[in-house]
Amino acid sequence: METQPKTFTDRDALINHVRALSPSLSPDDVSVSDTRGGRQAGQNLLGKIDPIAYGHSRNYLGGAVSYLSPYIRHGIISLNEVRNFALEAAPEDEPIRPIEKFVQELAWRDFWQRVYQQNPDWIWQDVETYKTGFAPDDYSDTLPDDIETAQTDCAAINHFITSLKTTGYLHNHARMYLAAYIVHWRRVKWQAGAHFFLAHLLDGDPASNNLSFQWVASTFSNKPYFFNLENLQKFAHPQAPCAEADNLALAGSYDQLAARLFPYGVSS
Amino acid sequence: MSALIWLHEEALRASHPLFAASATPAKSVFIWDDAYMTAMGYGLKRRVFLYETLLELPVDIYAGDTLETLQTLATASQASQVFAGATPNPRLNAILDALPDTLKVTRVADEAFVDLPEPENLRRFFKYWNKAKKLAFQPNGRR
Repeated sequence: METQPKTFTDRDALINHVRALSPSLSPDDVSVSDTRGGRQAGQNLLGKIDPIAYGHSRNYLGGAVSYLSPYIRHGIISLNEVRNFALEAAPEDEPIRPIEKFVQELAWRDFWQRVYQQNPDWIWQDVETYKTGFAPDDYSDTLPDDIETAQTDCAAINHFITSLKTTGYLHNHARMYLAAYIVHWRRVKWQAGAHFFLAHLLDGDPASNNLSFQWVASTFSNKPYFFNLENLQKFAHPQAPCAEADNLALAGSYDQLAARLFPYGVSS
Repeated sequence: MSALIWLHEEALRASHPLFAASATPAKSVFIWDDAYMTAMGYGLKRRVFLYETLLELPVDIYAGDTLETLQTLATASQASQVFAGATPNPRLNAILDALPDTLKVTRVADEAFVDLPEPENLRRFFKYWNKAKKLAFQPNGRR
């Protein structure tokens, strides 16, 4: 059998080869991320992590996140390696608290993988009922075109969609915003959103992605996750366009939005 | 008799315990399976990322249906064993399960994040975290 090449004149040549090996790819699928594959690239990022700063700023889109997730997803760097690296960053007199949030985020990945191992069927099925006052059939099976093409009436949401499609990456908080918008504002089944994310995220993992979508949807949590414009402006400005005039559907208090999004009430 | 190391998409690291698992010389292979990647929903971005990762690994890349190619390679190299990274992914496990009985399959677990027995009825993160956190801040997740 013929082996495939491992040297290329440049990245374009590699991309052309990948395309030749992938006849089922849509001709419209042309985006390639600037993020490079390989352990060397992952180790470069590992050397730059700041677990203590992560603890303070992780919820902000400009926060000190590691960007290691695609490398962890494919086993290029192990969770154990990242944790051991983080331990080195902790002060000797306080070895846990300053890096607790960083290590806990690694633990989420371990948790999702363990759930996947125990219950592979949960990846595409509702684990529990929706707590949104709606039944599964009330949600659309397909992603609306304006979401697919980043033409919704919310500028911040369009920004997240475009970033997802061009870079293959979204900050975790942006994933939660976009997932909540898809499921609760547009009443689309979480499975359609999960497919969309998996098609574009470099780190997309059936367990982390789909079970997180179910957490947002409330089929794997006690209540639906949603947000309001004030929260978006706090954490996403200036990385995303957050002006109220450009994001009217997201504006309002949590009570006002809950009444609008879940008119039959939230159950638990 | 020799062995085959099947490096699938969830174990793309030369330091994965998989490489040390075989007592006999082993040929390592990655199968570029267009149909599998399509079933997983992978677009061009992910595929380029994966191929770039393979360039740095001690592995031969073949293109084709994974199950068929693994069997062909095992026959050609007179392999009696196949080593693969342990995974929860049902598609990958189905491929391993479908290999003929003449090939002994060994699933090799990656280094653990925490050395914790599988908690029963995993459902909410903080129930897991309450058990895991004592180990999570130890080197190698072990006391």
